[in-house]
Amino acid sequence: MMREEAHRFGRGRHLVGIAGVPDGTSGETGIIVLNAGLVHRIGPFRLHVELTRQLNEAGYPTLRFDLSTLGDSGATGGGLTRAQQVCADLDDAMNLLKARAGCERFVLVGLCSGAQNAHIVAATDPRVSGAVFLDGYAYRTLGYKLRHYLPRLVDPGRWARLLRRKPAVSTDRPASEPVFAVAPAPREEVIADFTGMVERGMKLYLVYSGGISNYFNHARQFRECFGRVMNHPAVTTRYVAETDHTYILTGDRARLLDGIGGWLQRNFPPAHAGRPA
Amino acid sequence: MRPDAELPFFFGPDGGLFGMYHAPDVPARRAVLMCAPLGQDLIRCHRIYRQLAQALAGQGLAVLRFDYHGTGDSAGETATVDWERCVADAVLAAAELRARAGVERVIAFGARLGGSIAMCAAERAGFVEAIVWDPVLDGSDYVAALDAMQAALREDAGRFTQPRSHADVAEQWLGFDTDDRLRRQLRDLAVGPATVPTMVLDSLGGAETIAWDRWIAPPGKVASIVPLTPWNDLRRLETAILSQPLIQAVSGHLRETA
Repeated sequence: MMREEAHRFGRGRHLVGIAGVPDGTSGETGIIVLNAGLVHRIGPFRLHVELTRQLNEAGYPTLRFDLSTLGDSGATGGGLTRAQQVCADLDDAMNLLKARAGCERFVLVGLCSGAQNAHIVAATDPRVSGAVFLDGYAYRTLGYKLRHYLPRLVDPGRWARLLRRKPAVSTDRPASEPVFAVAPAPREEVIADFTGMVERGMKLYLVYSGGISNYFNHARQFRECFGRVMNHPAVTTRYVAETDHTYILTGDRARLLDGIGGWLQRNFPPAHAGRPA
Repeated sequence: MRPDAELPFFFGPDGGLFGMYHAPDVPARRAVLMCAPLGQDLIRCHRIYRQLAQALAGQGLAVLRFDYHGTGDSAGETATVDWERCVADAVLAAAELRARAGVERVIAFGARLGGSIAMCAAERAGFVEAIVWDPVLDGSDYVAALDAMQAALREDAGRFTQPRSHADVAEQWLGFDTDDRLRRQLRDLAVGPATVPTMVLDSLGGAETIAWDRWIAPPGKVASIVPLTPWNDLRRLETAILSQPLIQAVSGHLRETA
């Protein structure tokens, strides 16, 4: 059985995380998993626990932790912007995994706002060698709008329902509660970041789900959003239309974990694989 | 708050249980064991459990939050969650809390199934009191509600672009693997009359008709909490449960009984 370590760490000892260090590992690529939205480090439906333990079994040291003010982590009160805080927290996280497992390079994994935060750090920190962005940055492209609206325009049933509909239908859905959201960033900036990452030798894995169908609806949209850099050999993309944003179904979750594990094995093969504690 | 006042650690015979110990600034005379609910309720309650723990530690109580085997950061796969083991883990956690805090008087707090676990563990754990928030007393109703939400989830248009197959959603409850054993254990759950002084915090508001006064033994107490808690609203499945009135009710009660 893999034994995990509980840590309070960071420059202000304000961060809380769980490190998984397989026996015999030293200098492997460390995998760091960031918070998804406001969910604490175990991840939606325990996704991050399952992911880190599966990667530990494959020989990777891991850390799932709470960023400042999320989960069990506190604030440092250092007057930093949120982006600076995220970079500082990840610096602390990388230092911890270096101290515990000798990791010199890292792969960041983030879902939704976690992808956004991973993106911020991946764009600037040379220790980051790879990143897994789950439902990260995306934009409604012309292709998106055609795929979304055209079928509706030519659907006679939809027109009939629209004409029969009574006006001012109220719903009892709760007010919008944005638990998960990716704040937009200028597209050109994001493209420049991706380009810089692959030019630096980073490997990227973008997995987008049907759960963000309000702004992303086809595998082609990676290229529509981000252009030629998506064709770079260092970039792997995957669109999973049937699943939801937070992988609530265990089968979907298992396929996601296998996909991440396979991508890591191909791009960051551990030298000491298969030696769990 | 001192950062080191909240200590994450693993404990138990095989070191597999995760705990977060909240140490008070002054020597504690009482301690509170916070028993988490199960499944998605555990995730939804994480923040309020932490807020409550910090409030109680600020009042001089030693507090331990912990995850049962197969839940949260504790060892074990989700599919291995077992009711009897949850109760046994609560007993272990109470002993761990006594050892860390150096106190004998431990009060249990729990929301939903966490409240049920606290009640079932009360005698073995030697709790001097239990404070339970909308505890599940009748497991069959609870299982029926979970089944209904799981069935609705299959074709939730707000979540999936197309309805999922029955096989896709089988043997799961709202994001978590389950099996026949846990289903049977919960279905057969019938929490008997309280054996320790109990405070019930009711935020169901009649959504579940429960005769609390027949269940709690004197000097038991029932307090209503508003706003009501949407435990079983699929649309809020991933929204944190937060309630300042709940924190005030618990901390106020423990201040009165100090």
